[in-house]
Amino acid sequence: MNINTPIEEREFKIVGKSVRRDDVLEKVTGEAEYTGDVKLAGMLYGKTKRATVAHARIKSIDVSKALAYPGVKAVLTHENVPRVLHYGSPHPRSASCTKDQYILDKKVRFWGEGVAAVAAISEEIADEALDLIEVEYEALPAVFEPEDAALPGAPLIHEVGPGGNLVLDPVRVNRGNVEAGFAEADFVLEGTFSGGRPHPAYMEPNVCIADWDGSNKLTFWTSTQSSFMVRGILAEVLGLPLTKVRVLVDHMGGGFGAKQDCFQHEFLCALLAKETRRPVKMEFTRHETFIAGRARHPCRIWLKQGFKNDGTLVARDMKLVYDSGAYGSHGPGVTIVGTTAATSLYRCENVRLEGRCLYTNTPINGAFRGYGVVQSYYALDIQMDEAAERLGMDPAELKLKNVVREGDIAPSGHPILGHGLEICLQHGIDVLDWKALRNRDRTPDPSQPHIRIGWGVGCEMHGSSAYPGIKEQGNATVKVNEDGTVTLLTGAAGLGTGAHTALAQIVAEELGVRFEDIGTIHGDTDVVPWDIGAFASHTTYLVGTAAKMAATKVRASVLERAAMKLQVKPDEIDLSEGKIFVKAEPGRFMTVAEAMGPSRGIPAANIVANGTYEPTKSYSFAAHFTEVHVDTETGIVEVKRVIPVHDIGRVIHPIAAQGQIEGGIQQGIGHTLTEDYVIDKKTGRSLNAGLVDYKMPLSMDMPDIETIILEAAPDPGGPWGAKGVGEDPIIAIGPAIANAIHDAIGVRFHHYPITPEDILKALREKGA
Amino acid sequence: MKRIVELTINGEARDMAVETCCSLLDALRDDVGLTGTKKGCDVGDCGACTVLVDGEPVNACLMLAVEAQGRSIETVEGLQPSVDTLHPLQDAFMRHGASQCGFCTPGILMMAKKLLADNPRPTDEDIRFGLSGNICRCTGYTKIFDAIKSAAREMEAARS
Amino acid sequence: MRRFEYHRAETLEHASRLLVELGDDSFLFAGGTDLLVEIRERLRRVRNVIDIKSILGLSDITYDEARGLTFGALVTVGRLERLPLVCQRYPNLRAAFASLGSIQVRNRATVVGNICRASPSADTIPPLIADGAFVHIYSRTNMRVVPLAEFFTGPGKSVLAKGEIVTGITVPPALDNSGKAYLKHGRRKAMELSTVGVAVSLTMEDGLCNDIRIALGAVGATVLRAPEAEAMLRGTALDAATIKTAANKAMEECTPISNVRASADYRRDMVGVLTGRAIKQALEAFA
Repeated sequence: MNINTPIEEREFKIVGKSVRRDDVLEKVTGEAEYTGDVKLAGMLYGKTKRATVAHARIKSIDVSKALAYPGVKAVLTHENVPRVLHYGSPHPRSASCTKDQYILDKKVRFWGEGVAAVAAISEEIADEALDLIEVEYEALPAVFEPEDAALPGAPLIHEVGPGGNLVLDPVRVNRGNVEAGFAEADFVLEGTFSGGRPHPAYMEPNVCIADWDGSNKLTFWTSTQSSFMVRGILAEVLGLPLTKVRVLVDHMGGGFGAKQDCFQHEFLCALLAKETRRPVKMEFTRHETFIAGRARHPCRIWLKQGFKNDGTLVARDMKLVYDSGAYGSHGPGVTIVGTTAATSLYRCENVRLEGRCLYTNTPINGAFRGYGVVQSYYALDIQMDEAAERLGMDPAELKLKNVVREGDIAPSGHPILGHGLEICLQHGIDVLDWKALRNRDRTPDPSQPHIRIGWGVGCEMHGSSAYPGIKEQGNATVKVNEDGTVTLLTGAAGLGTGAHTALAQIVAEELGVRFEDIGTIHGDTDVVPWDIGAFASHTTYLVGTAAKMAATKVRASVLERAAMKLQVKPDEIDLSEGKIFVKAEPGRFMTVAEAMGPSRGIPAANIVANGTYEPTKSYSFAAHFTEVHVDTETGIVEVKRVIPVHDIGRVIHPIAAQGQIEGGIQQGIGHTLTEDYVIDKKTGRSLNAGLVDYKMPLSMDMPDIETIILEAAPDPGGPWGAKGVGEDPIIAIGPAIANAIHDAIGVRFHHYPITPEDILKALREKGA
Repeated sequence: MKRIVELTINGEARDMAVETCCSLLDALRDDVGLTGTKKGCDVGDCGACTVLVDGEPVNACLMLAVEAQGRSIETVEGLQPSVDTLHPLQDAFMRHGASQCGFCTPGILMMAKKLLADNPRPTDEDIRFGLSGNICRCTGYTKIFDAIKSAAREMEAARS
Repeated sequence: MRRFEYHRAETLEHASRLLVELGDDSFLFAGGTDLLVEIRERLRRVRNVIDIKSILGLSDITYDEARGLTFGALVTVGRLERLPLVCQRYPNLRAAFASLGSIQVRNRATVVGNICRASPSADTIPPLIADGAFVHIYSRTNMRVVPLAEFFTGPGKSVLAKGEIVTGITVPPALDNSGKAYLKHGRRKAMELSTVGVAVSLTMEDGLCNDIRIALGAVGATVLRAPEAEAMLRGTALDAATIKTAANKAMEECTPISNVRASADYRRDMVGVLTGRAIKQALEAFA
């Protein structure tokens, strides 16, 4: 598609309406089948034996007692699984992954890593058998912080990679002349920032079921965002052709990015099924969802920027360090995306960036909503707030002056076509009467002098695709059936966002049929067209365009067939709301069913078309405004109101889009204030791998969210200008809260989560 | 060792043979085949397995199946008044976008059913308090609150 | 989950005998909200679970003006939380009950179970200690009554001997001149294990504090009293300055540790803040 094609203006019949999502009826009745609900005859249960040491060589591993335990059917260790070096993040041919994993290795690189697996006739027996496996470790010195991992002479965690504990060579971006920029600056701000280890903590623990049949074909149910990637890497590592691996996933209990790796237990499950020739199920406990799942990369950021007295930003020098944990997973992708993202958001011609990613002996960090950008924009936005303070300017006004706008180049290197940040920011300022808010009394309740209130604003932008790191391909197949109904086949996963509904809306709109006439088939790699996976906020943008392209094609074919039946030329007729009518004589029409069905001498037909789309990237934008209350005696911060203003181009399903924004804000509030997956810095052990001590905001903690979606800046690369929304909302809320805390109590925080202890400590230091 | 437990599930009397160490959750899912009730943590922290036992919401993961002897259990599968009708809560959850990934939905629906049974006109605070043991990671709860308020209004209107 | 044997005790005598006969890895099971979690998370080795829910007489709640509130070992937290008497006369207990776990958990968990687990951060313990509650203990040879303040010997440890069973708790009557509060500090508003919990129960006479008990949760090996702070407050009008001084004293009297939930220093700070606030809240009864 030519990105310069103007966006078609039309009156929408289905797009832009919150139609009933096609997946939700099953969810409210309990019929929806998630991977863990699948039960096969003769199914065994697999469990993983996990290391109780952070860095070690396995000297010996004795499974004889476990194998002899009644009910145990198979035990796997590094001694009897194929030794294939493979990628953790299974994006083939992309810059975002690293080949550094074995199914089971002789070496342990983090506390909790799997060292053996058992299949037994019950979960309890498998669990009990784990205790009977005796592992002797030779402990190695371990590192838990990226700073320590970067020191010369630090213990080496991997034998592969560019050297030291680097996951990839440093990512460097240079634009303009930074030295000249600083020379021009009236003042310079410099600061260090850091981020904790938030966890996606999706509700459905990872789970898979493997069944290996007599023809040596592996059928694999798994809760994954990228079933074709799982198929590809399972086939590669297990030495099977793609025709012998079938991956199935119907409903998913969330993923938020993290369920796009191929996990160790997935290989183990397949191998246990192969060994026993019985179906095997492996389901994580909640504890395992933390230790063997994927979290956001902790980061350290150094940021120095030069400003003119009129607020113009003239130089940016930034160094970012991401902690990959024990394996590469998405470390390279996160480092590249997070680093290059810092070329943008606030415009600056002279930029020098360096991003590094280091291995540490901690659980693996992977893809998570806001991929690398949560970290870098936290720093960029907070420092812009500080510049406003220094200038005596309103922060929203300074941000408005500096946000990316028409003509600016995107982090991906191509011009952004729809710029919405300016309008989001301005809209929020206007509807909130921002200036009046900022002039409010900070302690409005005289009976509660310890409660101080503050308002803050944070900005973000995020791409809807992984371009240019991954040059993606979106596919869709659309079939018009002989009764006039339409079947859409898509490989895109249904994480719970309503993506399949949006795709069906797009097909119905383009084709000119009712939404109810569309049936969607997904989640079976043997049936649906290849898909890269549901990530990078791209499903509506990427697969939506592919679906629209396929619908355009079948529409033409339907019209051709109808024209034949109506004995007119195809360009003399049109298709709308399931009716094909002669434009000049609207009374003369036939239904799609009549066009497709049999008539005298003409048998029924089926029309099929594929759409394939290889996009660049669009950008979505948001400004989040928030009110916080800070208890200056306990340090507890409550987020009271959030007004998120988003530009996501054309909105396909308003309620689903709002839902993405509100859920992203919930996660972002958590990351900023309460959520941090903590690893003991002495042992590498997880300290809060559970839902009581890993503190996500719950119903009583959530503020009122007044979502505003603007269709201000559509991008022609998406269907009717639609752009992504999945990741955006988690990015801007963090700096908005940190800035609001500053507004309330006059203290700047450069890290997350900002704990009550941090607040009290800072207030004391300020008072002293 | 297995025991026979006689109980009522969604209004239907039945018995199940369960291991004495088996949770009600595992019995419902694995032995009875009612997989609508979800296992999100298995330790009472997430509320995804909320079912009503004699009308009271409990975490099915924290109750042994043998304790269900003589009790009446309601799960999400029993929420529909008839095969082609939805409970007002189910309908409201669909209309308001209160279910995204849906994994928390069965537990939240059962909790909400109990909430509205006790308190037909709940305030925002009542709803927040009532759902405080049910984790939803997708929605930010906003649309769940909307749906419950909407269902409450409809149920109220249907009664009057 | 690990497998275990399940036993159903019909009488206290039966339960007590099973506890002794089945050996060390045997535990009573009432609400089960802690025990099943400990089994599943492999925090406790359990071979035998003894269900006491069939035992008659352990589900009663009684109140009289002389003896106070008495409830049995099978009374759930949720039942007490919703009891009008508790809501009206024991706002401290009501606050503690309503903050324990979730509604679902409270429908199963028992107050006696929460006490027997003897966690220093248990929500129900501080207000019950501040109220001067005592526990009824059964054994096959005798019955004894122990003040709750003397029940705990360490984290997870109590004075219970093998075969002894707590059958109920009595809380002294709520007097008209009493004020009570329990404040829990956590990062969230629900589903929290308390970082610090402070309970205050006091009585006023002629504008002066007649008696006061302060109990501090999650800042020591067991729930602690703050005797020196209490002494500073008795006989005073509980003015802001005295409250402040006493709250500072309470900070000195606690012995918190650092863990993933909070540092020792922060916990100590919160003892000061919450003690002051709890006294003020208790005084609201007289406003």
